[in-house]
Amino acid sequence: MKTAAKHLTMKNFSLLSLFGALTAMAATPLWSAAPQEDEAADAAPTEVDTDADKYVAVIGGDIHTGTGAVLRGATMLVRNGKIRRIGHDIYIPEAAKVVHAHGYSIYPGMVALSASSRITDGTLSADVDDVESGIAAAEMGDGADADVTVEDWVEDWDQDFETTQAFDEAALRASDSYDPFSSFMVLTLAAGITSVESSNLPLKLRRDKLDDVVMGDGGAVNFNWGSPDARRSTAEDFKKAAAYLREYRAWEAAGDKEAKEPSRRGINSGAIKVLRGEGRAKFSADVAHDLLGIARLAQTYGFRPIIDGCREGWIVADELGRAGVSAIVQPRERRPKPDELMVGPAGSSIENAAILHKSGVQVAVKAMNGNVDLSGIAGRDLLALSIDAGFAVRGGLSEAAALQAVTIVPARILGVDHLVGSLEVGKDADFVITDGDLLHYETHVQLAFVLGEVAYEKNEELYYAHIRPRPKILITDGLKPAETAKDGDEATPPVEEPAPGDDPAPEDTPKPEDEPKPGDDPKPEDEPKPEVPPAQAA
Amino acid sequence: MRQYLRNFTRAVGASLLATVAAGPLAGAAFAAPQAQSMQPGLPPQPTTPKAGEPGGPGLAILTAKALICSLEGQQVQDHAVVLVRDGKIEAVLPKASTRIPEDYEVVDVGERWVMPGMIDLHAHVGGTFDINDAVYLANPGLRAKTAAIPSNRALRMAVAGGVTSILFIPGSATNVGGEGLLMKTALPHYEESVVLDPGSLKVAQWGNPERWVMGVNKTFENYTIREILRRGKAYGQRWINFEAGKGPRPDVDVELEVFRALVAKKAAISVHTQIYQVVLATITIIREELGFEVFIDHGTFDGHLTAPLAERLGVNAILGPRNVDAPNRGVMNWVGSNPERVQGVAAGYQEKGLTHIGFNTDSPVIPQEELSLQAAMAVRHGFKDTSLNTVRGLTIVPALTAKIDHRLGSLEPGKDADLLVLTGHPADPRTSVEQVLIEGRRVYDATEKRRW
Repeated sequence: MKTAAKHLTMKNFSLLSLFGALTAMAATPLWSAAPQEDEAADAAPTEVDTDADKYVAVIGGDIHTGTGAVLRGATMLVRNGKIRRIGHDIYIPEAAKVVHAHGYSIYPGMVALSASSRITDGTLSADVDDVESGIAAAEMGDGADADVTVEDWVEDWDQDFETTQAFDEAALRASDSYDPFSSFMVLTLAAGITSVESSNLPLKLRRDKLDDVVMGDGGAVNFNWGSPDARRSTAEDFKKAAAYLREYRAWEAAGDKEAKEPSRRGINSGAIKVLRGEGRAKFSADVAHDLLGIARLAQTYGFRPIIDGCREGWIVADELGRAGVSAIVQPRERRPKPDELMVGPAGSSIENAAILHKSGVQVAVKAMNGNVDLSGIAGRDLLALSIDAGFAVRGGLSEAAALQAVTIVPARILGVDHLVGSLEVGKDADFVITDGDLLHYETHVQLAFVLGEVAYEKNEELYYAHIRPRPKILITDGLKPAETAKDGDEATPPVEEPAPGDDPAPEDTPKPEDEPKPGDDPKPEDEPKPEVPPAQAA
Repeated sequence: MRQYLRNFTRAVGASLLATVAAGPLAGAAFAAPQAQSMQPGLPPQPTTPKAGEPGGPGLAILTAKALICSLEGQQVQDHAVVLVRDGKIEAVLPKASTRIPEDYEVVDVGERWVMPGMIDLHAHVGGTFDINDAVYLANPGLRAKTAAIPSNRALRMAVAGGVTSILFIPGSATNVGGEGLLMKTALPHYEESVVLDPGSLKVAQWGNPERWVMGVNKTFENYTIREILRRGKAYGQRWINFEAGKGPRPDVDVELEVFRALVAKKAAISVHTQIYQVVLATITIIREELGFEVFIDHGTFDGHLTAPLAERLGVNAILGPRNVDAPNRGVMNWVGSNPERVQGVAAGYQEKGLTHIGFNTDSPVIPQEELSLQAAMAVRHGFKDTSLNTVRGLTIVPALTAKIDHRLGSLEPGKDADLLVLTGHPADPRTSVEQVLIEGRRVYDATEKRRW
């Protein structure tokens, strides 16, 4: 029912947006207009050719929008890095790059919370910095600062990039160290992640360009809830800020220019920001009574807190739900009761995410570790984010909610859900094309797009190219007939738009009854895992 | 100098993760599992055995899919009935054509699957952590069982993850760490939890011992291993000769007693071995030269290049907790052969022809209950899951490798009824283990209280 409603909406929206497309042809491309910097668009002289809209059409794949809907064999049209239309029977402009994704699945790129700054800044070789700085230190004699980085010794190292964009302060901070050539970034994209949060800052994983990588200032204000003193002083901060805002509003309403403006001295500016709704309060807390305290504070002052950790949330889930909490949880967290003989509930639970979700808490899943593990232990680092979502399913969370816990919910927490986290018209075209269910351990990302540009291609990167290689997903200029497509001995997928409701997902390839594949899960809601793209099977 | 020190500390830090369970530092890094508190009050009450338990009526489990996991032959029976009696598996039969005897209690688990309990051949959570005494470079006389605590907290989590047996082994601070103990995870009394004692002899090739004993490296460590194994082999042989009436009764040597089991091939040598040359030494010295039953444990850092030799000499590989050779430089002074390729370890051994590949956790490096995820990571990085290779690598392959396949590892008649009831493929982290039976006894039921 929900799917049908979504489908209908999409179709209506498509008609509207077609009209929009025609009228917007002459407008400034969204491409160059940074959402937060209007002046930047004016200052950018490079993109004057307004006719040169860049279209990308992904056809034939199963589009998991991340909002609950799955559109089989549908088309997603991207214009200038934004999603223009999603649905069936969509007109594809002649100039569009067409991605032939028949038999594959399309998901919104995952949004990884608490990622290490290494992801957007660094190389695989941990020793390069040391070698370089060691040389530098040697040149400068003993006692020189050995902590200088390579970047300090390569003058104007970022001059090759388009830096015409005027970054705001936050963007500047991040772009200082943003390395679009980072190998960590490639691996992270390969894991299905297209955005990361690093120190409260939402960043896109964009290769070879620095434009628009910072999506916002994150908007979160950290509050300390870690000790009795900290809790008291945080509560006091909110009390004072609320009093100040009441005084200020009264002063403003009175309009008396003679009267003295209420003083902000001693008022926590973060608390003011939260109470004005300009940012969200973020706490780090795990123990049930701390969580209750945050819920009570939030309800007293009328804000919706973000709680990172939330280990014992399952014990007080109803209270957290009523307080409108967004929880960032680690489903695999293991912390037994401090004392085994304790009678009451305590410690971590595999069911935490599921119970919180059931109680109305917005649940985001974070990886066990924000870094990429290069010691050889796979499955416990940032690259295992989808695996962690899987552990939430083990604890009872639905597959759909688990997907949202690594896409739209973290985007909401970062205040960038208008840009990323789901595939919806008007949002950024940050998506991944996979050979199966995103939460399945066997699935590999074949292509990742950020702002409509290819950011990762499995066949082209050496890291995973050798693992279950699949034919290259064709990207053609325009909707070419099958026979004119290049790559003679490779897949030549049909280019006709499938009729609405036509399901091109392949039947499970016949296999011996006595050999269950990993995808051969008895849960009825599971998709059959395509072994071969239908173009190959046909 | 500062630079040197910085690099030094960094290098130590990098190698720490690999071996953290093994060293004296382990005690600081991981809290030792607490001893299970004794139940105060009532003495144990005599109870009538339930269905499937020793002495009780039979148990018939109806399931959508039974993963049999035999070494050869049928792997899967769809729509199956699993018959259990006296703690042993009687049969796995197609449901449609089987008439269940009247005195059997029938349990229908519906869409859920049934498989044999998983076995981990590299675990340190069978008791307390004082299992790594680095006094001499070779300590074959030390016994992990002196530290065992059956059914401790970590093992109860293991059960919830489907792990029913572990090889509890000493750490790898020395070239020979001592005897391991193969034990069931959820039986409360020591004597009933023991499956094989000694369960193995723990040998550690280069890649850790040099960190605790100054001035030794691959050459001296290999010399040490050869020296002690040759002495031990001779000792074990003298006992075998004596028992066959062909020689005098040898003096008991507490240092070498474990070799009686090893020479009689009742137990295998489990070898912490990683990096190509060292894995090669494991195969050529311990197997080819000295003829012991031996298996590769860890096997990372291009160790898979030895797979053809390992296959020829019958050396199985139990892999983990590093499950990929990452494109990295500087870990363990290793430089990979594929600079930018994320090489799955299990996939490497499989591609190069090794038949018997299993998985381990080195718990608590990886928590014991995540054993099945090791198989998932192998598949993710290229291991082919044809013929139930993942599930077999968690069950029959470790059973065969540790020489306990007559009792454990598959749903074949006569074996222990160590069974898991689970919601799907065991490698999938979304699959949950719903029930665990050990020797017919229900030791875990997620519907009562889910632990994992």
